[in-house]
Amino acid sequence: MDMVLQQIINGLTLGIIYALVAVGYSLVFGILRLINFSHGSVYAFGAHISMLFIGFNFGLVPAITASVVITGLLGVFIDKTGLEPLRKKKSKGISALITTIGISYIIQNLLMIVFGSQTKFFPKLFDYGNFTVAGTVVGIRQIVIFAIALLLLAVLTFVVNHTKVGLAMKAIEQNQKAAHLMGINVNSVITFTFFLGGSSAAIAGTLIAGYYQMVYPVMGFMVGLKAFAAAVLGGIGILYGSIIGGLFIGLSETFAATYLGGSYRDAIAFLILIIVLLFKPSGLFGKKTITKV
Amino acid sequence: MKGKKVLLAFALIGGAVFSSFAGGASDGKEIKIAVAAPMTGDFAEYGIGFKNAVQLMADDWNAKGGLLGKQIKVIVYDDKNNGEEGATVAEKIVSDKGIVAVIGHFASGVCLAAAPKYQESGVPEISPSASHPKYSEVGDYIFRNNTVISIESAAGVNIALNTLQAKNIGILSVKTDWGTSTAGITKKIVADKGGKVVAHEELVDGTVDFAPAISKMQAAGVDCVIVVAMYNVLAPFASQYKAVNPAIKLVGFSNAYSEQLIALAKDSAEGIHFPAAFFHSGDDPQVRKFVDSYKAKYNTTPSSLTAQAYDSAGIIFESIKAVGKADRKALRDYLYKIQYPGVTGMTSFNSIGDAQKVFNTVTIKGGKFVLVK
Repeated sequence: MDMVLQQIINGLTLGIIYALVAVGYSLVFGILRLINFSHGSVYAFGAHISMLFIGFNFGLVPAITASVVITGLLGVFIDKTGLEPLRKKKSKGISALITTIGISYIIQNLLMIVFGSQTKFFPKLFDYGNFTVAGTVVGIRQIVIFAIALLLLAVLTFVVNHTKVGLAMKAIEQNQKAAHLMGINVNSVITFTFFLGGSSAAIAGTLIAGYYQMVYPVMGFMVGLKAFAAAVLGGIGILYGSIIGGLFIGLSETFAATYLGGSYRDAIAFLILIIVLLFKPSGLFGKKTITKV
Repeated sequence: MKGKKVLLAFALIGGAVFSSFAGGASDGKEIKIAVAAPMTGDFAEYGIGFKNAVQLMADDWNAKGGLLGKQIKVIVYDDKNNGEEGATVAEKIVSDKGIVAVIGHFASGVCLAAAPKYQESGVPEISPSASHPKYSEVGDYIFRNNTVISIESAAGVNIALNTLQAKNIGILSVKTDWGTSTAGITKKIVADKGGKVVAHEELVDGTVDFAPAISKMQAAGVDCVIVVAMYNVLAPFASQYKAVNPAIKLVGFSNAYSEQLIALAKDSAEGIHFPAAFFHSGDDPQVRKFVDSYKAKYNTTPSSLTAQAYDSAGIIFESIKAVGKADRKALRDYLYKIQYPGVTGMTSFNSIGDAQKVFNTVTIKGGKFVLVK
């Protein structure tokens, strides 16, 4: 029993991180119907920038804030240089998708050139020890990570549901042309969305780097894939769906590693995804999309 | 004018072809030794160590007038620690007739992929790191200046049971050729020595989240974990385990015995024990000289595998000198006879080409490797 509880805590910590990354996919997909595959590399970028700034000894909060802003700007930069020109030329969705894959590798290789390809040490964040509840060891850092991620997800949900820019995002999601006609500045809303996506990736990257105490250029690859799976599982484009999806994948992966062995953990996350999609093609909370002719 | 240019171009192409394929053209002035190891990626630290060590030894000989009156030239190949890449590199090396011997590859799996090529073409290969039992069985041109894993495992188990007084042993291993076979051997040795393995967790290389494995080991009451993996696994595993249970004892293998381990795990690296054939802070004057000149040139401390690469180069040069010619077959024959006093102790090869060595116990204290007496 102890172990089940222990593994639930491990799984939830992992899952909330997936959720944070998954939200980034969902935000961009919601507004552009585009799967932004550069998101995993943006996450790795955020972790590296945090490492850089923490190394300057400005203090933790300024360092992470700087990383959040810079990574957010990277998101904007990706959109402005690689994606907006494609939208203007009314290119097919697949071009933008391939562009994001390309950008992903460009970022990854830049990180390798600047920081080196080896794994690097990341200082321990929120190391306040452990406490034991009902025979289960809970790390305070696990709780802090969970709390920060939850807070961030709450903020993002609030922004999307209760602010003017969130309303604009929803309007664009429903009909870009109509939103434009109603006087919404579509491009700046999209820019803002990419900023949000980049910033949340930076926070996720920093939290996970602090949790595992390491950063490396390809760290975003597997996390990106699983977070994408989480987003699809929950119904891509639906924020709370991404959160549930992330937790679900984190838990199933941890339990797979516990009871089936560490070799199968990655396969399990995707196996569950496939099974869910067979029964609910639009994901757990996804809306059925009406095909317009 | 035009004619001259064409002639020049031909001369250039001809020169390039000669130097890359024939090799023998330059044979008059230099003796070529290949180093094949990962120069990029997560294991580059080891490969670059090999390259540096062999270069250092070659520079030493070259400064003293060379080998058989010729200069030694070290040629480096990057196998990216990948089996396919390793086989391709081996192909390149054997096609260069000027190369007398190979020092490398790094991982056992890559060695196993490349060794048949060297055997087939008769190029002596000394791996400073391969420890998979099957490696030296590939043939009579295949040597290792490293101990077979069973001897090192026994040394590791001895540390766990006697030095650390472990009662319940856990094993964490990577799912590679080397990891799986070593974990099996280690398990058996623990049982033979009267110890108890209460948990064995396997994981794929590149895993970063060890929480499920750690919780399982904790539930099984493990007090000492033998980690069958390199520093890139041992470092994060140590950090994550010590966050849950600061009292956990850890034993690594000599291929995790690297400065990178301390750089990556910082405080969590404290108290990790290793069996090691080479100890860089030893008092031996020969070791001191090697470590000092290595530090002066490359600004880092050599690891035990680096030291074994250094000795491997010394063994090859000494053998070539003894047989009096840079001949692959004559070199191989002599390697079975040599007694080489190097920085990793007296080295000789047994009939299947395995080096025989004695182990020290090393631990990490105050951010430094220290010898356990």
